[in-house]
Amino acid sequence: MSTPTRPSLDDPALSIPVEHAGIFDAIPLARTERQQEFYALRDGEMLLNMGPQHPSTHGVLRVILKINGEQVTDLDPVLGYLHRGVEKLCENADYHQVISQVDPLEYISSLFNEWGAVLSFEKLLDLEVPRRAEYIRVLSAELNRVASHMLYMGWFALDLGGITPILWSFAERDEIMEMLAALTGQKLLFNYFRIGGVNGDLNHEFMSRLGDWMSRAGAQLEAGMSLLNENEIFVRRARGLGVIDRETAFRMCVTGPNLRASGIPFDLRRAHPYSVYPELDFDVPTRSEGDSLARYLLRMDEVRQSIRIIDQCLHQMPDGPVSARLPRLLRPRPGRAFSAVEAPRGQYSTYVISDGTDQPFRMRIHDPSFLHLQLMGLLMPGNLLPDTMAIMASLDPVMGGVDK
Amino acid sequence: MDRALKTLLERKLGTSMEGPVRLRQDQAEIRIRPGDLPQVMRTLHDEPELRFEYLADLCGVDTGTTFQVVYHLWSDVTPDWLRVIVDGIPREEPRLPSLTFLWKGAEWMEREAYDMFGLVFEGNRDLRRIYLPDDFVSFPLRKDFHLADDVARSPGGGVRPMERAGAPKDADETTLRRTSPGA
Amino acid sequence: MTAVTTYWNRLSVPSRVLLVALPTLLVLGGLATLAVALLVAPLLDFLAANPDLVRFAIAATLVIVATIPTAFLIILLELKVIARMNLRVGPDRVGPFGLAMSVVHGLKVLAKEDYTPRGVDVPIFTIAPVAVFLATIMAFLVIPFAPGLVAQDFNIGLLYFFAIGGLNVVGLMMAGWASFNKYSLLGALRAAAQAISYEIPLTLSVVGVIILAGTMSLGSIVEQQAGSFLDWNVWKQPLGLIIFFIAGIAEANRTPLDMTEADQEIVAGFATEYSGMRFGFFFFAEYVNVFVISAMTAVLFFGGWNAPFDWPFPVDLALDPGSLGLGLLFVAGLAPVLGTVLLALPFWLGSSRISTLQALLIGFVLFNVLVVGAFLGWAFLSFDWVVGLFWMMAKSYLFVLVFVQMRATFPRVRVDQLMGFAWKWLLPASLLNIFATAIAVSILANR
Repeated sequence: MSTPTRPSLDDPALSIPVEHAGIFDAIPLARTERQQEFYALRDGEMLLNMGPQHPSTHGVLRVILKINGEQVTDLDPVLGYLHRGVEKLCENADYHQVISQVDPLEYISSLFNEWGAVLSFEKLLDLEVPRRAEYIRVLSAELNRVASHMLYMGWFALDLGGITPILWSFAERDEIMEMLAALTGQKLLFNYFRIGGVNGDLNHEFMSRLGDWMSRAGAQLEAGMSLLNENEIFVRRARGLGVIDRETAFRMCVTGPNLRASGIPFDLRRAHPYSVYPELDFDVPTRSEGDSLARYLLRMDEVRQSIRIIDQCLHQMPDGPVSARLPRLLRPRPGRAFSAVEAPRGQYSTYVISDGTDQPFRMRIHDPSFLHLQLMGLLMPGNLLPDTMAIMASLDPVMGGVDK
Repeated sequence: MDRALKTLLERKLGTSMEGPVRLRQDQAEIRIRPGDLPQVMRTLHDEPELRFEYLADLCGVDTGTTFQVVYHLWSDVTPDWLRVIVDGIPREEPRLPSLTFLWKGAEWMEREAYDMFGLVFEGNRDLRRIYLPDDFVSFPLRKDFHLADDVARSPGGGVRPMERAGAPKDADETTLRRTSPGA
Repeated sequence: MTAVTTYWNRLSVPSRVLLVALPTLLVLGGLATLAVALLVAPLLDFLAANPDLVRFAIAATLVIVATIPTAFLIILLELKVIARMNLRVGPDRVGPFGLAMSVVHGLKVLAKEDYTPRGVDVPIFTIAPVAVFLATIMAFLVIPFAPGLVAQDFNIGLLYFFAIGGLNVVGLMMAGWASFNKYSLLGALRAAAQAISYEIPLTLSVVGVIILAGTMSLGSIVEQQAGSFLDWNVWKQPLGLIIFFIAGIAEANRTPLDMTEADQEIVAGFATEYSGMRFGFFFFAEYVNVFVISAMTAVLFFGGWNAPFDWPFPVDLALDPGSLGLGLLFVAGLAPVLGTVLLALPFWLGSSRISTLQALLIGFVLFNVLVVGAFLGWAFLSFDWVVGLFWMMAKSYLFVLVFVQMRATFPRVRVDQLMGFAWKWLLPASLLNIFATAIAVSILANR
């Protein structure tokens, strides 16, 4: 292999003849060290653009792959196609409006987005949330976690080529969405949590749907999972793929199920408890292999634990109000607050700075998918092209969260 | 609210911190100067009694007069979050050392801080914009950012890329058909 | 001239059409009559002198025509069966229960814009779909559908089949290379690698069958499996069947061995830059290929057009409608009316919501169904080729359903796993099969 040369736009190997270029941009001038390293093509390598329009990037994501035949040697993700400037929008919205702004970030698990924001505000205000509201929060959030993991299962299988599990998991997800629609009025971006509680009490339709679902949830989910767990082709593809070891996990700031699949039993619900999680009895599943199969199986374990939690919530639900009465114009004292919740994808945290007015001075949202996409740069090189999508799917990124 | 953490930090970091360790609810907050950042972080990460191995968040803040960069760390030794605020970064020269030597995951977070504020992290191998197009000139999360003017001034602003594609490279805005931002 | 133009301008459009069309038709009709009168006699002599050529021409035309409904049917099966496996319904608006969906797909593919992207190698780009479709149709030529219903029964039929399979790959590579697209290139390279790797086990796996049959002619292979289902080759060559079927999946580019067109990774692989009817060619060729592999499995291992038990045909029903004489006309006139009325009666009497006209319509449809059924039954009992065709189609479509079910169930096998499987497992297994068969045959022959 020849040594990598510094790229220049005069290099004939890098330029595209004018009659072919047309709407294609020329390769950009590489300014940073990493870009120079990336755009220097060795013998036999070529750049493949897995563009924002592609059947299986998880949202609008552009990945520039450097491939040598079928093997990926390097990659450069280009983000920002879904960037909405949420942090700036939150600076211009008052504290109650922030909840709707923050909902569409990780839109598949949007109750956790709201929870992160609302928890920070309650810390700023030193507000105590009624216990019934806390239990309802945990109940609805764990339902959302199950729905999110079901989507993950389907999407993972779809990226590997199996077209059936996603439809089975969507049947599951549909039931949960109907339940949550009965509770919150929405199926995807719930806008349900409020500062100091939730938007409305449990109602009859929700409880009857939930009861129906709980009576067969376990068996139905196991049947769905058995499509993949025992599928030889799926297991052979996912085993040993994209292994994250302990060192890498800490260095890359990995959180959530991806971290626990590498053997580190760190779950914010146990490590830094919030809400009523200390009163609930559930395990934190951990697996030590760190490969895609472990990440998948771990999320399925988490689904089982979530069902356990939902069951306990239903039995332990106290009576009482479901939200604290707050003024419409909320002016917290100047200060700073940080809070983190365990979202289905990892640690979803918010850092809010208040300056005494009714709008946050700075609303910083940190979602887990952002750093997991960064992991891709470490995991993919050396693997084959089909595994690219498999690794990305196993990390479970949601581009709404990545791009904010 | 971990008072033991407060004494521990004062013992280990001492003069590097500016001001006292503030404890509030479940967060402990320290402030440091930009120059002290690598060594303070190394201490927090490596010291066996501290072991802050988990970087939860890295963000920039524009206080209106200066910039701050805020790090949130977690360790097994304490139930509190540790907030490290690097204060006093001047607006006209917003440079500070990068943390990528310790946590490679900080690379993208620093890119985001650069993209939104213009903070330059020295030592970051890949400091370019992450969300916005490469030719965007201004930094949105700054307090003096004015959307319409800044976007119009940027070479990418207001012109749809497809219209630009057929034109020669040195065509300026007046020759390209322009629409107002938002149209 | 101006008189003509003024007259022309005063005419309406239909009149203009007639004014041009009628004389043209008269002239053409005259010429045609002349041509027929002069040429038909020598033409008929020529055809009579070369019956094989005539037979081949008709067979080839029928084969080409038959591939299209086959593709339609398989597309429909795939849509509906996979939908049911996915807990969905599939298309159910177009036609009764969505059965006309394939036809609509075909029309859609014809109606789409068929453009050539900039930068492609136009001759190769244009010919590639033709090559792929041609390979599939040509393979149809040797499949024995029923005794006497084989387009061309070569005595090297099996060899011909595998040779034509290679043309498929050439077409895919042409498509991938000529499209000015890296995804297509990747698809083409994968197609080549996969097809070449799996062709060897495919070919070797049927050597056992050839040894047993002593001939490569597909018609003879089927005839030698006559008798009951215990005479089929599957009991004598189980390993051969497994290898052939798996290699056939790879040759047909179907999940789980469909690296070539992995949707989620390389968009549409070699077919990324194709649209309209060109894509339709690839699309149809794939489904017809599925049928071809299924049919070959049935032919080689499951007895082709032989029934699973000894069929005592032709059964002579001793029907003689001519004996009715003039009464036949009477029956032919009266039977439909009577049948319609009799079959409409239960519906008309049983429900008050069905009007007389609706009941008569239902009765008419049912009568037609009965008549067709009776006719088919009579054909089934009287003609051996009808029976043979039925069993052949039943077996082929059984395997088509297996293909469809596998697509719904399995994820995709990775490129290197796919190639490793072919070279490290299927190839040695097929060699083992050949040796075992040869040894067994020589031992049994010597005894």
